[in-house]
Amino acid sequence: MNRPASNIGGIAASPLTNNGDAPPAPRRQFDARGYALDRAPFLVACLMLVVIVGLYGSLQSGVFTLDELNLDTTATLTLLLAATGQTIVLLRGGIDLSIGGVISFGTVLAATHFGDDPGSVLLWSAIVLAVGFGVGMLNGLLISALRLQPFLITLATWSILSGASLMVLPTDGGQVPSWWQAIGSASWLGLASPVWMLLALLVFWFWFRSTRLGIALKATGSNERSAFLSGVSLTRMNLVTYGLSGLFAAAAALYLTTQTGAGSPTIGKDYILPSVAAAVIGGVSLFGGRGNLAGTAVGAFILTIIGNLVFVLHVSSYWQPVAQGAILLIAVLASSLAEKAAQGQDR
Amino acid sequence: MDLLDVTDLTKRYGGIVALGGVNFSARAGEVHALLGENGAGKSTLIQVLAGAVRYDSGRIRLDGADYAPRSPDEARARGIAAVFQELSLVPDLTIEQNIWFRREPLSPLGTVRSRAMRERTLALFERYRFPTLRPDQEVRRLTLAERQIVEIAKGLAGDPRVLILDEATSTLPAREAQWVLDLTRQLAAEGKLVVFISHRMDEVRHIADRLTIFRNGQTVAAHTATAVGDDEIVAQMLGRKLDRLYPERIATTTGVPALRVNDLDAGKHVKRVSFELEEGEVLGVGGLQGHGQRELFQALFGTTRSTGAIEVWGRRTNIRSPRQALVGRDGLALVPEDRRGQGLLLSKSVRENLTISVIRRFADWGLLSETKEAALVREMVEFLRIKTSTPEQPAGTLSGGNQQKVIFGKMLLTEARILLLYDPTRGVDVGTKGEIFQLMRDLAAKGYAILFYSSDLPELVHVADRVLVMRNGEIAATLAGAANSEEGILRASVFDRQAA
Repeated sequence: MNRPASNIGGIAASPLTNNGDAPPAPRRQFDARGYALDRAPFLVACLMLVVIVGLYGSLQSGVFTLDELNLDTTATLTLLLAATGQTIVLLRGGIDLSIGGVISFGTVLAATHFGDDPGSVLLWSAIVLAVGFGVGMLNGLLISALRLQPFLITLATWSILSGASLMVLPTDGGQVPSWWQAIGSASWLGLASPVWMLLALLVFWFWFRSTRLGIALKATGSNERSAFLSGVSLTRMNLVTYGLSGLFAAAAALYLTTQTGAGSPTIGKDYILPSVAAAVIGGVSLFGGRGNLAGTAVGAFILTIIGNLVFVLHVSSYWQPVAQGAILLIAVLASSLAEKAAQGQDR
Repeated sequence: MDLLDVTDLTKRYGGIVALGGVNFSARAGEVHALLGENGAGKSTLIQVLAGAVRYDSGRIRLDGADYAPRSPDEARARGIAAVFQELSLVPDLTIEQNIWFRREPLSPLGTVRSRAMRERTLALFERYRFPTLRPDQEVRRLTLAERQIVEIAKGLAGDPRVLILDEATSTLPAREAQWVLDLTRQLAAEGKLVVFISHRMDEVRHIADRLTIFRNGQTVAAHTATAVGDDEIVAQMLGRKLDRLYPERIATTTGVPALRVNDLDAGKHVKRVSFELEEGEVLGVGGLQGHGQRELFQALFGTTRSTGAIEVWGRRTNIRSPRQALVGRDGLALVPEDRRGQGLLLSKSVRENLTISVIRRFADWGLLSETKEAALVREMVEFLRIKTSTPEQPAGTLSGGNQQKVIFGKMLLTEARILLLYDPTRGVDVGTKGEIFQLMRDLAAKGYAILFYSSDLPELVHVADRVLVMRNGEIAATLAGAANSEEGILRASVFDRQAA
């Protein structure tokens, strides 16, 4: 190729003669500090769990046993199921308040329609799950079509479902068959069924997060416009995320009936904000894109076991929400400090 | 035959003609540069080619077949990949996840095969001699330059036939910029077409086989790079423009320094900037977009952190927040870039918008004095000839030009005598533009000191007394008198300092 040297200053060597090595940016070795800072919120949550369990174990005998694991998991699983859906929605950068309505509605449907025969239980379980999924998809559709805040849309569907629950069953009551309740306390190889469900949930998560959908979910929460420019359909993404959230809330409702044996038209609201808290304590960002279900599980266990701890300390149970709030503050503070430290490191 | 052939392409946005008859053709195996001022139509053309924007009329043929992509996905499937300045990466994914996003190799379980993805990434990096990056690092932690490199990798991931690089070197340090230039030659040698947009004329000179020149939404000329001189290129980029818009410029400077800036640094975009703005002066700030002008204004107004010495009316000051910048007659006032987002509360009335910064002045013992406020508002509406039915009309319902006048009024009411005007005529109709220019000269005659950025060259030439040309965050030249010409500004913007 033949081109005249430019008379304008600038690059001296012709690029055509400079085909040697690539311009080296300094090679970076594995960077343990950066790795830890990226996962700081999760690591802090694990540390808090260890401290709380340690404290609890030093005040109460028999904490480090399978029995205690079974008990705590049994107590945590409803919250964790609700928080699983919430985690998915938070990763996408949204929030789902309607899970409270789905849980209430699910328990009253089960408590009023489950017969003794497995057929009716199976049918109505499927209906509860379908209602949860459908309500979630409706949330996603409305959010996409009306371009409204997820907070407002899901607040509205929560309210509607709460009313519907009261119409089906005005007060706590109804019942589910005893064999259904037995499922919740069954045990295999020394582990209670909720522990197996927890394991299944984690397996699901590790599969889900490495599918294209899981990656696209994170991408959409991280930067909606970039994801869109790369070909992600935001409407479809909203349908799937809120649909899954509703589905997990319905699963939480079904599990809850194995524990309480009855339905409650108002119980769902007890899970709305704790589901967000569990996720945030476990390192899920409210702004989307960051976090994972393992963190949420740790967060859910912290919220449960802090209650046990308050109990064995023989102080008023009113201290429980105080302690939970303090934990939330520590978690939020830790992730913000880590983010600052990581940014300082880059600059 | 030409790989890409564009005939009589047009595109309008409402009343604005973005492309008014673009003709462009390029061959496989060449580097083809697009040249032109900001807003000349280059960006619109490549957005059309990349499937991000649809055109109105005309015809595009790719390898002999009609080409009218409806989405970026379709453009990529047809073999055209674009690397835009507006970065398309997802911060919370890793480098490799970003590069292969939605093209990941999958296992039978539907999960992404991370080892295969790593191998592909490394193969891509090796083939094009990428600067070393760790594929598993999250993009969030990368510098702007590193992100730009990842963006290029993403563009190359689908092995496109046509790669469009939009100012890909503007954020890169010298070595990496050199790598991009080498890359374009390598791609051309592989038989691909590289469409290259850069404002650095020296780069274009080194790599382009041919170049096409844009002006006012049209292509005006296409050249073989070796057969055309710099002067001819600059002349064709500029063309001739009307100048009846502009008021007579009478020097009104008094020699009293209003704002003195010494060695100001702000972030990565403003480097060692020093200048002096005098009472009664309109000082222009020019240069290509994104060379630190915005950050300079933000630093002076206190919304970006900066280091360096700033003297306001002879007093050394530290401006750390807008509240500090706004104080009283000795303060600074800003007309911001994003009128609708930063300058106005659209749902609030004209009156409320005018007085929001100075609400304390109408307060007697904590209570608002409405009569005082109303009198001043009336005065300002008349002075600026703001076309509003009543002062209570919501600001969002005014035309663009009148919204801009409200912002001017808001600024004038602060009584600050140093005005920072950031592109005050953007999106403003021609008539109002003329009024704004006249207002600027009138204010200067009254002893105001005005710092005035514009993306429009003629405005700087005809309204400002002197022009600071910024390039890569530094002041590349200060032009006054005869040197303050469109050509002078453009030269100082695109060429290295030694050539300016």
